[in-house]
Amino acid sequence: MGRTYIVEDVVEGYLTKQCEQTAGPVSGLLIGQSSTQREYVVTATRTPQREESTASGGNSPDKEWVTEHARQVSRMLPGGLSVLGVFIVTDTDAKDTLTTLRQLVFAVENLISSERLWTSAEDDVSDRVVLHVNPKTRKTLCRTFDVKDPKSVAKPADWKYQSGVCSSWSTVSCCVSVDVLLPLPDNPTATEDTAKCLKEGLRGWAHQLESAVCLIDGRRLAADAELAGGQKRNVRQTYSAQLLITPDERRLAEGVQRCGGSVSVSGAVYSTAYLHSNKPKARQAEKLLKRDAVSTLTTRAQMLLEELLTSGGASEGSSRDEHQREQFCLPHRVFCPVEASGPVCVCDYRFSDEGLSEVIDRLKEMLDMDAAEKDLDIRRETPAEVLEGDAADEPTVETAEALQSKRNYFGAAMATTVALLATAASMLYLNDV
Amino acid sequence: MVVSDSLSSDRGTILRVRGPLEFKCHLVSTDARHMLKVISRTFETLKSQVKSESCVLTVCDSPVIIWPNKDVYITPQEITPNAPCDDILKWIQSDEQDPAGLRSAKKKSKKSSAASVINLRLMMEATKTGPLSAPILSRTVQKSHFLSTTFPVDCVVRTTVNETIKDAFERLLKALTHQLCEMEKVTLQHTKGTTLLVPEPLHFLLPEPKGLVTVVYPAGVPDSQLEAQRKELHQQFELPDDWPYFRRANTYHFPNEPYKDGYLRNPHLVLTHPTLDNGKVYLVQGTYSYHHYMQDHTDDNGWGCAYRSLQTICSWFQQQGYVERAVPSHKETQQALVDVGDKKASFVGSRQWIGSIEVQAVLNQLLGVTSKIMFVSQGSELASKGRELANHFLTEGTPIMIGGGVLAHTILGVAWSETSGQIRYLILDPHYTGAEDLQVVTDKV
Repeated sequence: MGRTYIVEDVVEGYLTKQCEQTAGPVSGLLIGQSSTQREYVVTATRTPQREESTASGGNSPDKEWVTEHARQVSRMLPGGLSVLGVFIVTDTDAKDTLTTLRQLVFAVENLISSERLWTSAEDDVSDRVVLHVNPKTRKTLCRTFDVKDPKSVAKPADWKYQSGVCSSWSTVSCCVSVDVLLPLPDNPTATEDTAKCLKEGLRGWAHQLESAVCLIDGRRLAADAELAGGQKRNVRQTYSAQLLITPDERRLAEGVQRCGGSVSVSGAVYSTAYLHSNKPKARQAEKLLKRDAVSTLTTRAQMLLEELLTSGGASEGSSRDEHQREQFCLPHRVFCPVEASGPVCVCDYRFSDEGLSEVIDRLKEMLDMDAAEKDLDIRRETPAEVLEGDAADEPTVETAEALQSKRNYFGAAMATTVALLATAASMLYLNDV
Repeated sequence: MVVSDSLSSDRGTILRVRGPLEFKCHLVSTDARHMLKVISRTFETLKSQVKSESCVLTVCDSPVIIWPNKDVYITPQEITPNAPCDDILKWIQSDEQDPAGLRSAKKKSKKSSAASVINLRLMMEATKTGPLSAPILSRTVQKSHFLSTTFPVDCVVRTTVNETIKDAFERLLKALTHQLCEMEKVTLQHTKGTTLLVPEPLHFLLPEPKGLVTVVYPAGVPDSQLEAQRKELHQQFELPDDWPYFRRANTYHFPNEPYKDGYLRNPHLVLTHPTLDNGKVYLVQGTYSYHHYMQDHTDDNGWGCAYRSLQTICSWFQQQGYVERAVPSHKETQQALVDVGDKKASFVGSRQWIGSIEVQAVLNQLLGVTSKIMFVSQGSELASKGRELANHFLTEGTPIMIGGGVLAHTILGVAWSETSGQIRYLILDPHYTGAEDLQVVTDKV
């Protein structure tokens, strides 16, 4: 018994289009939701063209490029959506293609899971799909691999097209406030330590959320309860969730410790998750929503640190006041529906110095989506703003020592150790193996 | 002087809220004035958190959740704020041991002679109504100090009969805020340099009508250093100076709360008293723990009965707050006897039996307690000592060790009739070799 994939009609049209272009083999990603009984494919997107000339070995897709694309796309998927697999449109021999696809799908899974701060659960589906479309014969070959098993072999799977797959999916969402304060270690090398500290602190926050009590529409539901709770099926539902937390039992350190400063993240993130319409369970909704909250904050923090690296110092959106405190705005979340009339959206992050056109460009490049400004939902979060008046919170230290101006360690570190930090940032959220 | 150790249910239920509150702040200097200012400011933040709409109290073992600062909003909505507090009890599932100590199957809480406690957990709601501003990351690079700890909030309010949920919880919130103020005082008082002592709330049961009282002590500071504070409390509550009420050992033990050390406390309480013509019952006062053969991985089967009886007596002194010394192990007891010159050094580690005289010597040596030995040459003579035993339980209230021949026991009380002279003894048997199971222990009796 293989897996069954229920696929939006639109995807068929998209794959056909890829067959018609003649620039060579096309690879891409399949995006949707898994459930224990079947998988739903909501959209597909081709791997974007590389800027450098493609004089490389013609027929096989660039593995690194495909996985990097998958990593970026994964950041743009709210809760409930994930990269389900990889497709290739090529007239190369099926057996060879299958081998390539297998390599790709494992590499994609490894990279995406290494970025996560939450651990996958026992009941998470670990099958990923590979699809081979032959443009000449228009034949589609669909197989699955179990990415938890390195020795897994291809299993057959059903690929069925259907219309309106996600048009009546449920949405659960909430606005989670974040207030994390962490000490920096007691030595002056700045950014590397900020990254490490942040990772630990966000891990603690993620743990708090994972054990948080979740209320859906104001009630605490039993884990096995159905989300719709007796209401008509196939009617779109939106639910709002509440999360109740207590401080993390494991703490970094007790008492008073020396430190090299502090870093804090404070504000709110809008978190949302989509659930298929076939009797979704409350427990699933809670899990997907919490994962989305953790992912969205982690992604943004990582994006900020990457941005700081590339811009070589204080970014446009930062300000430094006389108390040696630097403040950076994390990007805010913008949503775009996958299909005009459906509830399911993808998202992107817009920095304060960007306009909506940049968002539209990224949606086109990463997800091959043609969106217009009017389609974008920008009102779930308000962009962060650094207020000059915030300085009042900081302690005014009257000792002479503090009034000496201190060098900006951050800038100094940036100038001399860019290469090192580049590695540090890319390893930012790798789980310890 | 009798100190009741259980609350009657004449008054309403007890609301007890517990939860950790995270306390974190960045100190740019360890200058005392600055530290106090920052600590005070952080406490202000905690107080406003507790008074905010994000403060949530969840009822343990139940789906009931209460927002005390949102006009006392409750979910499930079947419960309204104007309902009596006791209604919450109907929503609590419990399959633990009931106050009498016997295991019961899953059943709703039944009426018992002890007051009911509604346990609540303090939590914060992390979600708010949007749209809200995206996060800001702040960095301060400066050689400084960071203070991070968690305060164990533990707040109790005794409701009056038929008090509404709204009123009770508004009082509970006030009590929580008050506790934070007390914690602030203790923290500021005991912060020196870079050490911080965590303020720890403890509950003490005072004679009616004062009832339960909560005091915040700095954690880790032994009772001996808190004498001034206790004197003040005794004055404040008009309590006599010769009976301990506020030592750590006097902390009120809530019903259904397990003891951390695993020993049974006062197992005799579940037994029914014998009836004698014109008889009265005279029992040990206060609490003791049950010590018997084979505990603490010590195989003393056959020789350790007097040692165990001694341990039970020592536990009484510790739990009433007279001494801080933990109950002595067999080796410690033996060493004490060597130290007073009663036994040779080879005694330590042996399996030699001890008698009443030795027990008296050890009590004196280790606890500084003097005791009286009463001789009876035959078991039948015991009956004539009824009056003396009754008097002992009335005035001193400690357990009595009885040793004779090759056996030792502990007497916990007598039922004695002044007119008929009939007497029954309540015995705690140190020869028991089983586990700490109240059911098994009392059945054997």
